[in-house]
Amino acid sequence: MLELRYNPLTDEWIIVSAFTQKRPTRPKTTECPICPGGVEFPGTYDLVSFDNKYPSLQLNPPNVVSESPILKRKPAKGNCEVIVYTSNHQSSLSEMPLLQIEKLIEMWVDRTRDLMQYNFVKYIFIFENRGQEVGASLEHPHGQLYAFPFIPIRISRKLDAFEKGYEEHKKCVICKILEEELSKKERIVYENETMITIVPFYARFPYEVHIYPKRHVDSFLYLSGQEKKDLAKALKIITMKYDRLFNIPFPYMMMFFQSPVNTKDFSRIFHFHVEFNPPKRDKNKIKWMASVETGTWTFINPKIPEEAAQELRNIKVEVK
Amino acid sequence: MKILGHSFEDGKITFEAENFVIRLKVKKIPEGYIISGEIKGKPKRVEIFRTEMPEIFFINNWQSWGPAKKMKRGEKLKIPEKILENFGYGFNPNPHLFEQNVVSDYFYGEKKLVVGFLSSKYAHPFFLFDGHEVVGYLDYFEATYEDFIPLEPLIILHGNLDDLLPVYAEYVKLKNNLQITKRNPVGWSSWYQYFSKLTWEDILKNLGLAKEYLYEVFQIDDSWEIDIGDWQPNEKFPPLEEMAKTIRKHGFIPGIWIAPFSVSETSLLAKNHKDWLVKDENDSPLLAYRNWNKNIYALDITNEEAAKWLKNIFKRLKDAGFEYFKIDFLFAGAIPGKRHLNISPIEAYRLGLKFIREVVEDSFILGCGAPLLPSVGLVDGMRIGPDTAPYYNPETPGAFIPNAFYALRNTITRYYMNGKWWWNDPDCLLLRNIDTELNLWEKKAYAFVSGMLNNMIIQSDDLSLSIERYLLDSALKLRGGRAFVKGLMEEVYEIFAEGTGIGNVKLRINLKKERSELSVDEKSIKLLKQVKTKGDGRKFNYYQQKGDDKDA
Repeated sequence: MLELRYNPLTDEWIIVSAFTQKRPTRPKTTECPICPGGVEFPGTYDLVSFDNKYPSLQLNPPNVVSESPILKRKPAKGNCEVIVYTSNHQSSLSEMPLLQIEKLIEMWVDRTRDLMQYNFVKYIFIFENRGQEVGASLEHPHGQLYAFPFIPIRISRKLDAFEKGYEEHKKCVICKILEEELSKKERIVYENETMITIVPFYARFPYEVHIYPKRHVDSFLYLSGQEKKDLAKALKIITMKYDRLFNIPFPYMMMFFQSPVNTKDFSRIFHFHVEFNPPKRDKNKIKWMASVETGTWTFINPKIPEEAAQELRNIKVEVK
Repeated sequence: MKILGHSFEDGKITFEAENFVIRLKVKKIPEGYIISGEIKGKPKRVEIFRTEMPEIFFINNWQSWGPAKKMKRGEKLKIPEKILENFGYGFNPNPHLFEQNVVSDYFYGEKKLVVGFLSSKYAHPFFLFDGHEVVGYLDYFEATYEDFIPLEPLIILHGNLDDLLPVYAEYVKLKNNLQITKRNPVGWSSWYQYFSKLTWEDILKNLGLAKEYLYEVFQIDDSWEIDIGDWQPNEKFPPLEEMAKTIRKHGFIPGIWIAPFSVSETSLLAKNHKDWLVKDENDSPLLAYRNWNKNIYALDITNEEAAKWLKNIFKRLKDAGFEYFKIDFLFAGAIPGKRHLNISPIEAYRLGLKFIREVVEDSFILGCGAPLLPSVGLVDGMRIGPDTAPYYNPETPGAFIPNAFYALRNTITRYYMNGKWWWNDPDCLLLRNIDTELNLWEKKAYAFVSGMLNNMIIQSDDLSLSIERYLLDSALKLRGGRAFVKGLMEEVYEIFAEGTGIGNVKLRINLKKERSELSVDEKSIKLLKQVKTKGDGRKFNYYQQKGDDKDA
C-alpha cells in the first residue's frame, strides 16, 4: 500500500507506505547495495541520485479513492530519491574531501532544479539521517530527498513564522537574527565569509546547529559559487566537530530548508538554512523525542545553547 | 490617499450611487493594503482611488506594445499624429482620455509606492494623472450587473518601487490563481527577416538550415493567409496540413500567426457577416485600427455564430498539426462598442481567449498586441513591448513604432511579469550581420538581457546569412535563473540573475549610451550528468565533475 491519508485532528497528511518496511537494515560492507558492485551499481561512479526502491512517494503512485468526507486519501504522488555522496563506503561528510562536498552541493542544486519541473511538486526536502540512533538503514554515506506534493506541516509553520516576523521587523527573520548573533557572537560555532553556523538561541536539541547564509537567499538554486564553497566548508567543519565531541561517529539528522516551489513566491521572507538535529546529549545518552516533544511539539532542551556553542567552538579542527 | 472618498483604514465601506452599489473590505498585508469587494448596477466608470500626483512616476500602458516607463509631472508621451489616428484603441480603450491626459493602466508606481489593480475580469482598471492628482478608475463601460460581481481588487504597497513591482506581480499571480506552463519556448519566427514578403520557399530553406540550432518551435508569421479574417493559406503557401507536417518532419513544433479578433474590410468575412462585427453608436462596423493599408474591424465574439466560427478556425489549425499559436492584435477584441450581448469589452475579450484555449487545449498560446491584465491565465506567453526592428534608435518617438531600443527597454521594465503571469516574449533576436543596422553591442545586449531575464527566446533571421550565432547560445545559457532589476526609474539598470545556466550573473546596462558591464560568478563547479533508467523503471542520475573522467 502507498497512499496519503489526511489527519483531520492536526490538518496534516500522513504517508502510508508498506514499501519502506521491506528495506534492508544496516547490511554488512560486503553486501552494501550502494557500493560499486552492489545490487544498485554494477559499475563504479562518483556521485549518484536515484529513485528509492522503497519509496514513500512516487511519480506514478497507485490510484486511491477517497470514500469518506472525513477520512480522506490521496495518491502518494511525489518522488523519493537516495543521494549517494561518494563511492567510498567508509567515508562521511566529516571525512570527505571538500571538493566532494562541493560536488554534492551542485548535485543537490541539480536535483532541486529537476524536480521542481513537476508542477505538482510543492516542497523539495533534502536530508541525511546519520547513525542508527536516527534510523539510518545503510552505513554508506548517503542522504535522501523527498519531493512532496504539499507543503509539510512544519515547513508551513516556518513560513507562517517568517511571514509574521517580516511584518513585525520589516525584514527577513533570519537576517534580523544574524544582526544580533554577529554582534553578540556567543552562540557562533564557526563562520566564514558567507556562512555562519550557530547553536541557535531557540535550539531544541542539546547540540543542535544551524547554518545560515549571511546574504538573504531562499534556495540552493541561487547560492553563489563562493557561498557553495563556504557551505561545503561549514558542513565539513560542523560534522568534524561533532565527531570529535565524544570521539564517536556522531549521529545526526541534517536537514536543508529551502523555499517551496510551484506555489506562492516566498523568496522575500524565507531564508535558506540547514538544521543539524543530533539526538545525543552525552556520549551514551540520547535526547529522545518522547511524549512531550512528539505529543505537543514542545521541546525540553537539557543543554544551555550558549554552553553547547562554546563546547563546539572550542573543538579545533583543521580543513585543508 | 482616499478610497471612494474615505480614508481606507475604515475597514468596511458601502457606497451607494444612483446607478450602482459598492461594498468594500480593507485588508492589511505586510506591504500595505488590499481593498476588495463587490459591485452591482450600471457602474460605468467608477472612481476607486485618489491621491496627490508625485513629481515622477512609473506608468504602464494597457497592452503589449505600449510603454512601461518613468515619467515626470507635465510630460506627455510623444506619439506621431498618424499613429494615434490609426491605432487609437491600441493606446487605450478610451482613446480620447489617452490623448488628453497621462494614463497608466492596471498599476502605477512612485519611488516609495505602487498602487495597482489585481485583476481585470469585468472592468478596465486605470489611473488618470489629472491636474495635481492621480485617480484610479474601474471602467465597466455600458455593462449592467443585476447581481453583485467581485470588484477588481486594489492593492496599495509601500516600500521601494524596485522591490514592489515583483510583489505586485506576485499578488496578481495569487489573486488569479495562476500556474503557468513549464514550457518556455525557444524558436524561430519569419517576421523580422521576411515581413509580409514571406514565401513557402523561404520556410523550406530555413527549415533545412534550422537543425543546426536549438529551436523547439518553428513559427510562420503574418503573410500566409488570404486576408485578415480569411484564415486560409494564400496562393504562396501549401495547405495547412502540409505546412505543419513539413515543420514537424524537420523536428520542430509547428507554429503559426493569426489575428483572431481582427477582420479586414476587404475580407470575405467582413463582407458576408457584417452582423459579426463590433458596431459603433450608428450600428456601423466600428473601426478598431488601420493596418495593412486597410480598415480593420473587431469580431463580436458574443455573437454565437461568430464564436462558433472562431472555434472552427482554431480547430482547423490544431487539427492540421499546429501546436504553437501567436495570436496578435488582440486589443481589437477588447474595444468598447456595441456587441450582441451587453457585457463589458473586457468580459468579451476574456470570453474570446477562453474559446481559443478550449479548442487548442494545452498548445502554447503567445499573446501579442494584447491587453495585459485581462489576459492572465489565458495565454502561456506574452509580448511585453513594441515590435523590435533591425535598428536601435533611442532618439525617435517610442510608442508603437518598431525599434529594438524601445522593445529592449520594455523587456526590462516589465520583467517582473515573467514566470508569474506568463513567459515574457521580449520579441525576436535579430543576430544577422547584413540586412540590419544593429551593431554588435545592440545584438549582444538584446540576447544577454533576454536570457538573463529567463524570457522566451525566438530568433528571426534568414539562416543562410552570416549570423552571430554564439549570441543565441549565450542567451540560452543565461536562462533558467531568477532575475531582479534595480533602477527601474533610473537611466542605468542593474540586472541580477541568480541560478542561470552559468551561475549568478550581474549586468549593469545603460541602454541609451550603449554601455554595459557583465560580471559572472565563475566559482561554481560544473557537473556532467548522465541519466539511466533501470529495468524496474527507476531513474539513476550519475554525476561527475566536468573534465573529470576518473572515479572519485
